Amino acid sequence: MSETLHSHPNRAGLASVLERLRDALGENLLEAASADDMDEAAILPAGLHPAVNVLRAAGFNLLADIGATDHLPLTPRFEISYHFIAIDETSKLVIDPPRYRLRVFPDDVNPVVPTLCGVWLSANWPEREIYDLFGVHFDGHPNLTRILMPDDWQGHPLRKDYPLRGPDRRFAAGGRLGSVPPVNPT
Amino acid sequence: MSAIDLSKFDNNPDLIVSQGDERDTLVISMGPQHPSTHGVLRVMLKLDGETVVTSESEIGFLHTGIEKQAENLFWQQAITVVDRADYLAPLSNSLCYVLAVEKLLGIDALIPPRAQVLRVIFTELTRIASNLVQLGTHAMDLGAQSIFMYAFEMREQILRIMEFVTGARMHQSWFRIGGLALDVPSGFLDILDEFIKSFPERLTDMRAILEKNVIIMDRLIGVGRISAADAIAWGLTGPNLRASGVAYDVRKALPYSGYETYDFDICVHDGGDCYGRFVVRLDEMKQAWRIIKQGREKFPGGPVVIDDPKIVPPPKTDIQHSMEALIHHFKLVSSGFNVPEGRIYQAVESPRGELGMYVTSAGGNKPWRVRWRPPSFYNLQALKALAPGNLIADVVAIIGSLDPVFGEVDR
Amino acid sequence: MSPHQPFITTKLDEFANWARTSAIWPMTMGLACCAIEMMSIVSPRYDTSRFGAEVFRSSPRQSDLMIVSGRVANKMAPILRQLYDQMPDPKWVISMGACASTGGIFDNYAILPGVDRILPVDVYVPGCPPSPDALIYAIMQLRKQIEAGGKAMVLAKNV
Repeated sequence: MSETLHSHPNRAGLASVLERLRDALGENLLEAASADDMDEAAILPAGLHPAVNVLRAAGFNLLADIGATDHLPLTPRFEISYHFIAIDETSKLVIDPPRYRLRVFPDDVNPVVPTLCGVWLSANWPEREIYDLFGVHFDGHPNLTRILMPDDWQGHPLRKDYPLRGPDRRFAAGGRLGSVPPVNPT
Repeated sequence: MSAIDLSKFDNNPDLIVSQGDERDTLVISMGPQHPSTHGVLRVMLKLDGETVVTSESEIGFLHTGIEKQAENLFWQQAITVVDRADYLAPLSNSLCYVLAVEKLLGIDALIPPRAQVLRVIFTELTRIASNLVQLGTHAMDLGAQSIFMYAFEMREQILRIMEFVTGARMHQSWFRIGGLALDVPSGFLDILDEFIKSFPERLTDMRAILEKNVIIMDRLIGVGRISAADAIAWGLTGPNLRASGVAYDVRKALPYSGYETYDFDICVHDGGDCYGRFVVRLDEMKQAWRIIKQGREKFPGGPVVIDDPKIVPPPKTDIQHSMEALIHHFKLVSSGFNVPEGRIYQAVESPRGELGMYVTSAGGNKPWRVRWRPPSFYNLQALKALAPGNLIADVVAIIGSLDPVFGEVDR
Repeated sequence: MSPHQPFITTKLDEFANWARTSAIWPMTMGLACCAIEMMSIVSPRYDTSRFGAEVFRSSPRQSDLMIVSGRVANKMAPILRQLYDQMPDPKWVISMGACASTGGIFDNYAILPGVDRILPVDVYVPGCPPSPDALIYAIMQLRKQIEAGGKAMVLAKNV
């Protein structure tokens, strides 16, 4: 990997973030690492709000993304990843803004993560998307409904145990033409 | 076939129609088939007369399952599927994905300079093409139909260059992990020079019609204003953020593909309204042209792919007389290559903002997870804050100025 | 035309078909990437207004032709069907691009494997996306179909 990432000046300031995370989270902090692209911390859902407060106090003001990964067959299975950037609004040119990644590992069978909706404006839709595609519940979300799939869809498509082609094809038999045979689900 | 069911909005607290107030409000549904929503978007607007009180958007009408499809294709094959998310700037998607995988493989420092320069030139050409579509459709929404014609004619020139080099007008799938698919044909430099010579004048003409135009200024100044702090809180990036005065551009903040060696400015405006976003995009086209010009001046020779047969197939001519080349080619096509275990978040500056991909590899020959950070998803979410207080016609202008691409929003 | 059809109504039919082909008004059914190439056919280089198909009507009640351009997600399918039902007769459908014709490169849970599962299609245009020339050729083929009364199977031949 390129040299510049490891030696870039903003990384030095992030050591204090790690200390504050340790203090605030206690046992909810599973591990913290300095990965190749940015610093990251793996935490349990109970530590999400304290961690977000620590990061906000450290100047991280842009929540770039909330995403999810399904690591089946490994446990813990679900990883909800939060990417933060610290942007100086008043700067003439933002160069090398500090970045941070939080990885939250909820329970495998009943995944529940507290919502960031009241705390961060941009959290609403990504959390709905993760609920829709992975089935992770966000505790306290004002409108946790499907956002990308049709409302009557069963199942959570991006889970690893969901087949690529889905359980069946909609509009297969009984369509107006009916000349196209239904696809066998894999 | 299920009938179209809007009853899920009945209990939405934002959209409840007030009864017994001084004024009654009305909820209308705009889309998903609509000339001005720039794609398939349904916006439920609660109106007081013609003024919007609240809005609620519904997306998902173009959900394609790109992320799941990419998990079932080899690393190299996934480039074709990745292109089709942000379909106005396909090479941006490709670039982000390819850079992420190259970092996971550890070959990002080995990409030959000619490939880097060509990647930059073509990404900037894509940026100009995408901004021209935004300009044309936005102006058409505001009523200036002839601008659509001019913008698309300018875009045709760029698409001809793309077709000349890569064979496709859109969805070029030309970037590869390790460099490029093919080198540029002879004659490329001539048509690129022609573009470099003719574009500034056409852009100046376009700006002359639009930038100080009374109607454009009346319709866009003060509409959809968002402050810098709010923009950052909503996760806006790209021209939408720069129009609010925040000088954040991933090309300068976290340079990739050699962008630190090019001399260009970041376009910032402090209005925070639709006019600011409009002007920023016009300025960006000029800066993109500057970068292309510098790329043309650099234009190094040399190979366009790294010399590693485990990742990049050897030239076809070698297959005829070298057993190793044949075997490598066979292995790469039939079972791809393995990428070491790891995860990386790679960001590039797409015409819409920070396009990020959080790629996770489990050590196999297929991506384990390609998580998009789609800029349009976050830009569009901010419509909830931008729409209230404006007229319906202004909502159309705001959606146009946010420049959403639904392939990216819905994936 | 069959020789046993009466003379006047045959001529009227021909006149009606000529009128229909000369002014096919498409509806804006731009879904995804193909929509951009569909917009390009209105642009000056691939001008379709010389074929009478200039006006893109947004309202289905005022259009003749639905060009399904782009991948059809499961959520969008009932809406497509409702729009098709709202179009007055005579109406035609062009399925533009690989995704609308067969599902294209997306063989998964989210995309309809061809819009002909829910609509009767008159012309299929392959390509990903098809170039504007290909779409104009498709419109030409459709015009031949309409002129032939819609009863002839017009096979695309090499020009």
